[in-house]
Amino acid sequence: MKDLKRCSRCVLPETHETIIFDEAGVCNICRQQEFKQKAIDWGVKKRELDQLIASYRGKADYDCIVPFSGGKDSTWTLHYLVKEYGLKPLVVRFDHGFLRPNVIENTLRTARALGVDVHHFTPNWRVVQKLMLQSFLEKGDFCWHCHTGIFAYPMRVAVNCRVPLVIWGEPSSEYTAYYSYDQPEEVDEKRFNRYINLGIGADDMFVRLEGMVDSRDLDPFRYPPLKELRKLDYRSVCLGSFIPWDVKKQSAIIRDELGWRGDEVENVPPGYDYEKIECCLQGVRDYIKYIKRGYSRPTHLASIDIRNGRLSREEALETIAEYEGRRPPSLDLFLKFVGLTEAEFLGIAKSHMVSPYRHDERLVKEGKRVADFDRWPRCGGMPRDEATVQLERFLRRDCGRAAAAAG
Amino acid sequence: MVGIVDYGMGNLLSVRHALESLGADTAILADPEELADADRLVLPGVGAFAEGIRRLRETGLADALGKAVKGRLVPILGICLGMQLMARRGFEGGVHDGLGWFDGDVVRLPQESADVRLPHVGWNDVSPRTQSVLFRGLPACADFYFVHSYHLRCRDGRDVEAACEYGVSFAAAVRKDHVFATQFHPEKSQDHGLRVLENFLQWRP
Amino acid sequence: MLKRRLIPKLQMKTSRFGATARRVLVTTIRFDRVIEIGDPVSQAKIYEAQAADELIFLDLDASAEHRDTLMDVVRRAAEEIFVPFTVGGGVRSIADFRRLLAGGADKVSVNTAAVQRPDLITEAADTFGVQCVVLAIDYRRNSDGTGRVWTKGGREETRLDPLSWAEEGERRGAGEILLTAIDRDGTGQGLDLEMTRKVAERVSIPVIASGGCGLASHFVDGFFEGKADAVSAGTYFCFKDENPMQTRSRIKNAGIPIRLHT
Repeated sequence: MKDLKRCSRCVLPETHETIIFDEAGVCNICRQQEFKQKAIDWGVKKRELDQLIASYRGKADYDCIVPFSGGKDSTWTLHYLVKEYGLKPLVVRFDHGFLRPNVIENTLRTARALGVDVHHFTPNWRVVQKLMLQSFLEKGDFCWHCHTGIFAYPMRVAVNCRVPLVIWGEPSSEYTAYYSYDQPEEVDEKRFNRYINLGIGADDMFVRLEGMVDSRDLDPFRYPPLKELRKLDYRSVCLGSFIPWDVKKQSAIIRDELGWRGDEVENVPPGYDYEKIECCLQGVRDYIKYIKRGYSRPTHLASIDIRNGRLSREEALETIAEYEGRRPPSLDLFLKFVGLTEAEFLGIAKSHMVSPYRHDERLVKEGKRVADFDRWPRCGGMPRDEATVQLERFLRRDCGRAAAAAG
Repeated sequence: MVGIVDYGMGNLLSVRHALESLGADTAILADPEELADADRLVLPGVGAFAEGIRRLRETGLADALGKAVKGRLVPILGICLGMQLMARRGFEGGVHDGLGWFDGDVVRLPQESADVRLPHVGWNDVSPRTQSVLFRGLPACADFYFVHSYHLRCRDGRDVEAACEYGVSFAAAVRKDHVFATQFHPEKSQDHGLRVLENFLQWRP
Repeated sequence: MLKRRLIPKLQMKTSRFGATARRVLVTTIRFDRVIEIGDPVSQAKIYEAQAADELIFLDLDASAEHRDTLMDVVRRAAEEIFVPFTVGGGVRSIADFRRLLAGGADKVSVNTAAVQRPDLITEAADTFGVQCVVLAIDYRRNSDGTGRVWTKGGREETRLDPLSWAEEGERRGAGEILLTAIDRDGTGQGLDLEMTRKVAERVSIPVIASGGCGLASHFVDGFFEGKADAVSAGTYFCFKDENPMQTRSRIKNAGIPIRLHT
């Protein structure tokens, strides 16, 4: 198998989405870093935030909604809004079904330390299983219910509880604005449709599931109608649009003041214990990416470190050789949850391979378990006959389509 | 209230939805007398000059527009045919007098090479003048959606708010005091188009 | 500079879910093998968020019985979508044009009815403007390589060939040609570049090429070799991981002027 071409500066490979290499072999992400953000007047932004909050404070049952995962960004956001502004937020936690023990404890510590109401919602597991399997079949990504639930559900709460201001954590630099508008970017349905839902809305998923669920079962994943949000005079913004985001400083503060703790992640080198620590199936997610594109989290993290001058390219390549391309122990749980055999799993993942990468499972080694592996919930596996029905319907449609197209 | 002038030509619904998405309170006005209630007006239009000006005159809307725009100085935005009707004369299907608010003629875009297909359909980039009201906050070369075969050729270059290239350089937007107009469809130009509409809504003399 | 256009095609049929009839989005292969893939308005909004330049809604039922559900889709699309969209399928009269345009469509596409009564093209252009009239031409290739126009969703053969019919359509007042290669529809084998180029060279109105896109390079070929002004794809974005944002980057990287922002 020929090696993938990688950026001559960082180590992102040619299979990374929208990557372009210039004549020097440097990738566009490295180049973008050079021109990233124009000078932002944070003083002006802070005053905008003051005004925004003042205009909504005290007008509803809660001053704002804070969508919360228990990770460092949402924890910092909640901390900041409570400490800096003394707000009364409604913390909304969408439970994707795979919350790890540490993040559950982080959330408990945070909620008790700050004193907030927490609205925790767990969607119907039987529906979630079907969505995981269907999403994996359609897009090679089993997290549709999570992507959509996390972003749509808090907006539904906003409508239902009539709380118009929603404040997210993630810094706006994620949203690659090519140019600056006067206003900060909104976390709205447009963004949801562009980046979040894998190009499938709740109504589309309903059709693709061919009547296997009731339309109401998909409500938690359905973005509320714009009309309803406008009636509330809603705003949905990122804290990171108004204050500079300093991950190191913020992590230190939440560790000290809230007892927030990081965690190890399957097949990730040590030293990155603050990223993606919320989900038991993160390892499977990374593994699927590896099968599709020939790289995963270690490459991603190393590339960021190279660009920030914290790692040399040689060190990065060594780390990748040691940690990438390993089978996560959590895969066994995933297979039970969706009722697939490992061979079926590989076949489906490989059907989404991105050229020129060709995955060879014989080269894959077993990865290490993380410390809390035995405490992850294992109940609620999908019965094999149900999974087969769903799988067969998909294959009949997909293979029939492929055959007809070829014929 | 933003009045959208209805003379039977144009995609009024889209204009209305676009304005309402920006928080404007809108009304579709077919009766000339209703124009008196509007704080701001939009004159949309899709189709031919001759038909457009005929309808405006026959319904009495041309007169009512004159009173509102020239008399009461109500800010107005013309779109596509709406922009063209504001000219002195139109040469589509014979020679016709327009509303005369801009000193210029509406003539067919020249097709000097095979590359220039008509109608001019699709997204094309627009170069606004500096300090332009309509294009405030937008990048220098934003694309907007055009669909037309004729253009307004202004005699006075100062009326041209923004230019576009299609075989020739033509007026993509014009402005004289409180009278604004775009050849492109802001209600069909996604985020940049909505920004243009918003700039119009926010403008104060 | 005028950009080339990427136009997702949304084909619709009526389907029943329990007691309710609703419009669903479908894909086809060679105008057959209907697969239900989603909800038209939901997908239209997603495409728009991904900077689709325009949208084309095609009603495959094309019958008066389902007119209300079609108008419901058009109305909801007009409320939230701020790029131009064309509606076609079963358009038979000036009244059909009027209803769709008043309902929020920017352009109306006509196919079978125009072949049966070509004056309809002129009447529509005179009444609503040339820019509102899209002449949809579906064709198959004969064994000798020439093309033959088929109507009624690919079920009835005519004596027309796409080149002269496109030319006549322009003469009669069509503002654009939507050219679809029936044999390539949904196959992912690439557009019919030769026929596309011939039509593009024969007329001086914009040509939208459709039928067969399976790779981003097919779009690029359609613009370069096929000389199409726009490429429309119905199946390409529905399966696997393709979305208009990704495709446009690749088109741009190939040197074709295309819009990148929303």
